[in-house]
Amino acid sequence: MEPGGDGSGRPVFRRDVEGEVREELDFHLEMRVRELVRRGWTREAAREEAMRWFGDLERLKRECASLGRDRERRQGAMSWLHETVRDVRYAFRQLRGAPVFSVAAVLVLALGIGGTTALFSVLDAVVLRPYTFERPERLVTVWETWQGGRGNVSAGNYVDWLELGVPFERMAALRWASFNIATDDAPERVLGVQATHEYFAVFGVAAAKGRVFLPEEDAPGRSNVVVLSHELWERRYEAAPDILDRVIRLNDEPYTVVGVMPEGFDPFTEGEQLWVPIAFTPERRAMHDEHYLTVVASLPEGIPVEAAERALAPVAAEMQRRFPEDNAERGIRVDPLHDIVVGPELRTRLFVLMGAVGLVLLIACGNVASLLLARGAVRVHELGVRVALGAGRSRLVRQLLTESVVLALTAAIAGTLVAFGSLALLVSAAPPGVPHLDRAQLDGAALMFALLVSVASGIVFGLVPALGATRQSPWRALGGRGTLGGVRNTLRGTFVAVQVALAFTLLAGAGLLIRSAVLLGREDPGFRAAGVLSARVSLPPSMFADGETARRAFTSIARRLEESAGIEAAGLTSQVPAGPGGNSNGLVPEGRPLSVESAIDARLRIITPGYFAAMAIPIVRGRGFTEADVAGGLRVMVVSQLIADLAWPGEDPIGKRIICCEGSPEDPLWKTVVGVAGNVQWRGVGQAVRPEFYLPIAQAPAQAFTWIQGTMTLVGRSPAGVDVVADAMRASVRAEADVPLYDVRTMQDRLRASFATSRFNAQLLAVLGAMGLLLAAIGIWGVVAYHASRRAQEMGLRMALGATTRDILALVATQALKPVAAGLVLGLAGAFAATRVLRATLFGVTPTDATAWICAAVVLGSVAFLASVVPAHRAATVDPASVLTRS
Amino acid sequence: MADTPNDWLHGTLDSLILTTLARGPRHGYGIARWIEEQSADAIRVEEGSLYPALYRMERRGWLKADWGRSELGRRAKFYRLTAAGRKRLKRDAVAWRRFAEGVSRIMLHARDA
Repeated sequence: MEPGGDGSGRPVFRRDVEGEVREELDFHLEMRVRELVRRGWTREAAREEAMRWFGDLERLKRECASLGRDRERRQGAMSWLHETVRDVRYAFRQLRGAPVFSVAAVLVLALGIGGTTALFSVLDAVVLRPYTFERPERLVTVWETWQGGRGNVSAGNYVDWLELGVPFERMAALRWASFNIATDDAPERVLGVQATHEYFAVFGVAAAKGRVFLPEEDAPGRSNVVVLSHELWERRYEAAPDILDRVIRLNDEPYTVVGVMPEGFDPFTEGEQLWVPIAFTPERRAMHDEHYLTVVASLPEGIPVEAAERALAPVAAEMQRRFPEDNAERGIRVDPLHDIVVGPELRTRLFVLMGAVGLVLLIACGNVASLLLARGAVRVHELGVRVALGAGRSRLVRQLLTESVVLALTAAIAGTLVAFGSLALLVSAAPPGVPHLDRAQLDGAALMFALLVSVASGIVFGLVPALGATRQSPWRALGGRGTLGGVRNTLRGTFVAVQVALAFTLLAGAGLLIRSAVLLGREDPGFRAAGVLSARVSLPPSMFADGETARRAFTSIARRLEESAGIEAAGLTSQVPAGPGGNSNGLVPEGRPLSVESAIDARLRIITPGYFAAMAIPIVRGRGFTEADVAGGLRVMVVSQLIADLAWPGEDPIGKRIICCEGSPEDPLWKTVVGVAGNVQWRGVGQAVRPEFYLPIAQAPAQAFTWIQGTMTLVGRSPAGVDVVADAMRASVRAEADVPLYDVRTMQDRLRASFATSRFNAQLLAVLGAMGLLLAAIGIWGVVAYHASRRAQEMGLRMALGATTRDILALVATQALKPVAAGLVLGLAGAFAATRVLRATLFGVTPTDATAWICAAVVLGSVAFLASVVPAHRAATVDPASVLTRS
Repeated sequence: MADTPNDWLHGTLDSLILTTLARGPRHGYGIARWIEEQSADAIRVEEGSLYPALYRMERRGWLKADWGRSELGRRAKFYRLTAAGRKRLKRDAVAWRRFAEGVSRIMLHARDA
């Protein structure tokens, strides 16, 4: 007998435990009463006595009921388990029995599941868990604020903050610098960090070999120690086990290796290869005016970022009081480290991608759901029999859902392969600059994600068909042929509509991104990038500590380069557009009070006269620099159009004077504006234009060469090609100093890199859109073909009665296109909502850009039309006679 | 210290129930009456202990309960041994014999030192 069998067939779960206990105990009581009555007791007395024997009847009933319920739960769990195992076995049999369906469904789902899993791996590595050290959420960066912007910290401020007390567990200051590593054969230029000794402690990471800096090594004269990155140690020193205490030459000075960091220690994802102590000099500690440090700190437990920022307000106020010229209006701001490394823009992009892949998965689910509906029609008989045998509807639905989940899990296995492949593809094709991307892999978290997504998909695409299939009463199924057109058709039509809506959303999004990328590509950067080569050269500190030596060296290099054979135009600059580096200074136009409020924060470029010509930057008023602008002569400056508009709106800026970069209130050292240059996209395409100004190298203040760390970028053009330029550059540099040329790239490359991310995003979304479109088209085709085949007899009849092929075609096509039209309307709403999310990543287009949407609608509409017309045509050209004679 | 045989009963009730049911399925009242009769009324089975014991043993899988018709014609819950219950009974019987023999040896026949 089945468990719980009292013959009524009630399933185990519904058993009334309390009622049964009551009935059982009442029976026992009654039997005891009769026993006593048999012995001569009266019934009332017998009942009293029997009740007394029972003791506390209520408590007994409760105890038994609780034990009974417990038993029910256990039995229920066991039987549920057995049933599920049975269902799974049955599901596999079903799948094997319908191989075409199974393979199609598995393939379609594998694409969706694999794609989402691959993207999850990327999200996990880049956004969710990017760091290799502990408590990354406790790490913050600390900045000075000025005029609404965020800026680096001066050494004087940093030191004084420490003294005044900061609400952090640990704090450290650092700056990036490039170093020449010289051994005899292979000089190399690497990025490194100069940091205060607490730096590593802030992250809580110890050296993998050796040690990090001691406090006493963070002082001038004692600071010739270096900690290497794992990658540098492996690559350049072949992971030598005796690396510690070795002396290497950095920028021509000996440094002792004291430690090697563990693999993957790269908190700012800048890729620095070594760390040396920053070793502030006493003079530097007192300097509050040069803002060049990045400050990183760790928050104590329980202190949120905002609280720390508030706690620093009095410190900022005190600094303003003590150093009014340097610190007026400077506040302090605290941001999570995560925001610096993985900006909100990147996060948005990744989540948008995830959403897009999710949409593809949903479309795939729609296809499988349609397929399942069709199969349900076939299985009506089998299901009807089971209902007649006593299976409840929920039991059947559970079994069908189990089949769906089994299907989805099978697809997940195939999907893992897809994920593997797409992840590899993504990582290799992705533009540079996506932090931690190389760490994305299919680990436990990704596999768990795949599992969850599969189960969810199985339920999503299986639920409606399961409910639909178990809807009808068993007698119709057993008796008739079970056509049941109406409900299924509506369901199938709904699936098509939903798929079309999702595909439209995808295509609209892809269209917007594509247009954005195209517009970015056409954007005028303000200079001519074609055919221009750029390369950087850094003089060692021994050469640029004295500004004059650096000035002479650079001027000489520039002259040699310009005079080289084949060079059409060439120049030097402290920062090239879309290139690294850069310094800012405040400019105060003449006539304004000499205070920070009236200063314009602008980017400085120190250039040789040939620079403007080499980059084809237009001089819109006045002139550029010439050889006549020498030291000791009139101090001249060229400003960008934006500065002219900001400082002297509506007036002619030529001849006006500006204070900047050097001088004092008593001796302003005015600079005269002699020219206005066109605005340049200094950070690359797609970014806002910033104010910038140019000084001739002959007149740059001596300390400027320290600001730029003795590094300048050469640019050059030659009709003979960039190789000629590169050789000429190397020769010019070699003649002046024994330093390597590095970061040799064409301006075209630099520019492209600046919008590589947008382009990549657009390409990816276009691919996803195409996939979604294909899947939706397959869905539509399948549905139309199915309908047509089911109605073959009807078609044959109509044709026999005189309908032409065209009539049949129109009939079938119209019926098919109704849900498509509904889907497009739905899709408009959905796309509107979804593309709002894209707003942050778009350039030059608004989310409601008509062109993109119209294109998407046209593409989708045409594909849908084709997908319905072709099978409809096949149906319409069937031979009526053969169809009618089929029974 | 134990005053009545019922105090010794605690702990052996399970075994008695299993033994009873080895002779065929019974309802709760039937089990109680059989034990009382077989022990010549030396053991009075309390309902407050019997039913919790029955429910516990069913939960552990030694018994199986089904509803059926009693002699009176009323519905009653009948218990019977499962295969696991039978195994348990065999074990209990062996253990009880050794225990009872040991206690009897000491209490009834031990010589005073």
